[in-house]
Amino acid sequence: MKRLFNNNLSKILIIFTILYLLKYVLPQSFMLEVIILSIYTMGCSFLIGRVGFVSFGQPAYLAIGAYGTAFYLYYFGTNPFVAILVGILLGLIINIITGAFFIRLNSSYYTLCNQAFCVVSFFIFQKALVKYTHGDNGLWFLSRIDPTPVIDLSRTEGVFIFAFLVAVGVWLLFNYLMNHSVFGATCLCVKCNEEKLRFLGYNVFNIKWLAFIIANTITSLAGALYSLYFGFVSAGITAPSKAIEPVAISMLGGAGTLFGPLVGSFIFIGLKDIASQVISYWELLVGLMLIIVMLAGEKGIVGSLEGFLSKLINKHGNNEGLQATNIEGEVGSE
Amino acid sequence: MNAHLIISAFVLGLSMSGVYFLLTVGLSLCYGLMRIISLDQFLYYSVGAYMTYTIVAVTGNFWLGLLAGILTTILIALFVEKIVYKRIYEKSVMFSMILSFGVNLMGVGLIKYIWGLEPKPVKAPIGGNLNIFGTEVPGYRIFVILLAALVYLAVCYFLNKTILGTAIRAGIDDAEKVEALGINIYKLFTLTFLLATSLSALAGAIHTPMVMVVPDMGMNIIAFAFMVVIIGGLGSIKGTLISSLLVGQVVSFGSLIWAPLADMAPFMIMIIILLIKPTGLYGSKYMKR
Repeated sequence: MKRLFNNNLSKILIIFTILYLLKYVLPQSFMLEVIILSIYTMGCSFLIGRVGFVSFGQPAYLAIGAYGTAFYLYYFGTNPFVAILVGILLGLIINIITGAFFIRLNSSYYTLCNQAFCVVSFFIFQKALVKYTHGDNGLWFLSRIDPTPVIDLSRTEGVFIFAFLVAVGVWLLFNYLMNHSVFGATCLCVKCNEEKLRFLGYNVFNIKWLAFIIANTITSLAGALYSLYFGFVSAGITAPSKAIEPVAISMLGGAGTLFGPLVGSFIFIGLKDIASQVISYWELLVGLMLIIVMLAGEKGIVGSLEGFLSKLINKHGNNEGLQATNIEGEVGSE
Repeated sequence: MNAHLIISAFVLGLSMSGVYFLLTVGLSLCYGLMRIISLDQFLYYSVGAYMTYTIVAVTGNFWLGLLAGILTTILIALFVEKIVYKRIYEKSVMFSMILSFGVNLMGVGLIKYIWGLEPKPVKAPIGGNLNIFGTEVPGYRIFVILLAALVYLAVCYFLNKTILGTAIRAGIDDAEKVEALGINIYKLFTLTFLLATSLSALAGAIHTPMVMVVPDMGMNIIAFAFMVVIIGGLGSIKGTLISSLLVGQVVSFGSLIWAPLADMAPFMIMIIILLIKPTGLYGSKYMKR
């Protein structure tokens, strides 16, 4: 039991099995939204918790992926797999370029710059490229998606399974990056003590750049999935007022933890669905939630729960696992 | 493009610069002294605008509305400072950014709840046109420019000539030494925060006749304010002034040439300046934190 819980791989397996089974209890659209939103949040959470970059501009990267997919499906082809690939590639290219600019800034300038980037991309998609993006009316291409063999992406069922598999892949990737690679350790060092990392002979710029590219390309991937799911993309996807959502969810779940984004998006969407029946202004709720989470200590739900659980499990055993999670806890509170 | 267009665009740019300056000087001061980025200034901006609208709708007096806006936001800011900022002054900038964005978002929700979603117009208190080199320019824009210039001079006087201002400037350089001199730095923090807040509310109030009052007005101006702050460098009043003059003109002339350029040209300038100097034009080397 102990080994089972201290091993991240088995944790991923268990949690995603539960997630898949939840499909039969909760509405499928709800679960699909949770999965895509958690992929979206994963990049943001990684940047906040492991690299120390808070970004209020994530919708921009989401929109780039979404529009890449949408442009391909609307103007060029009909194959959804190629469309997703196009979205990711477009995201990758733009992230490589913007990353080189933004990474040079220190954290507060980075945040403000990203927010400005988000607003500008909103204007670009809404007004400057209105000929191609149709602005707020958006691009509709649901009927153009071809049925594909094995996983049929023209149906919601197929999109769910595909998004689920992608999510498992993303989590395995980030598990490796965060906990089993030198790169993850150096990222953490960027957050804690950049000078020391430079002293040790690492190229800090490249590490930050790579982290930025990986995190935001995952965000673009989420955007591609979104556009495939809705069959529709409009400029509203990069609305600057939505920029806080991924940050809020990361903070709610616990920034930099492996399962924080998943738990955070589950609770966030659940709350939003319930609250939208009571009050129509979600800003009030998100803002309040953010204030409470931040003032309660920024460990988030998973961050606080992990320490508690591992203490419970390791009560009578050796302290190996406890130490591991303690280190993680300290990182969360940094 | 004839001379009339150029003059009116220039005046429009200057008046926009005035609004940007009033809005961002508070952000800049807060960062300089307290090392927080107070994104809720944009909430005070909208509250100032909404209070002005309400008072103008009730009494018809613009100046009363302006005053009411400033007083209301000061009350809100006192509350927010006590509840939120007191707990995070010692922590990293990230905290204040996320928290104040939360405050901002909550405020926007409350505004939507109280005032509804419809855009609300406010009539300019100063009608009439001024003749500048044969071009008719709305008098209200000239008033905004003069007011912003006056505020700049007043802030400079306050920071350079008064005891309190000197203490604040000393705090920007080295907060610990100021504390060692026996000055209660937290009182200075509160004072600076209230000063920033009232300037933001003033910006919101005087901006109302030039734009529609909508709940998202704070969100709409956020990008320009950030660009001003980033180009000028956080924590520098002079930098804020220069960059707000620059951004105002770029926005005004950009929209004259091609409408989307108004939004994108300042961003391009920001990127170029950051490439040359990652701390902005006048950002000091202390801002590494």
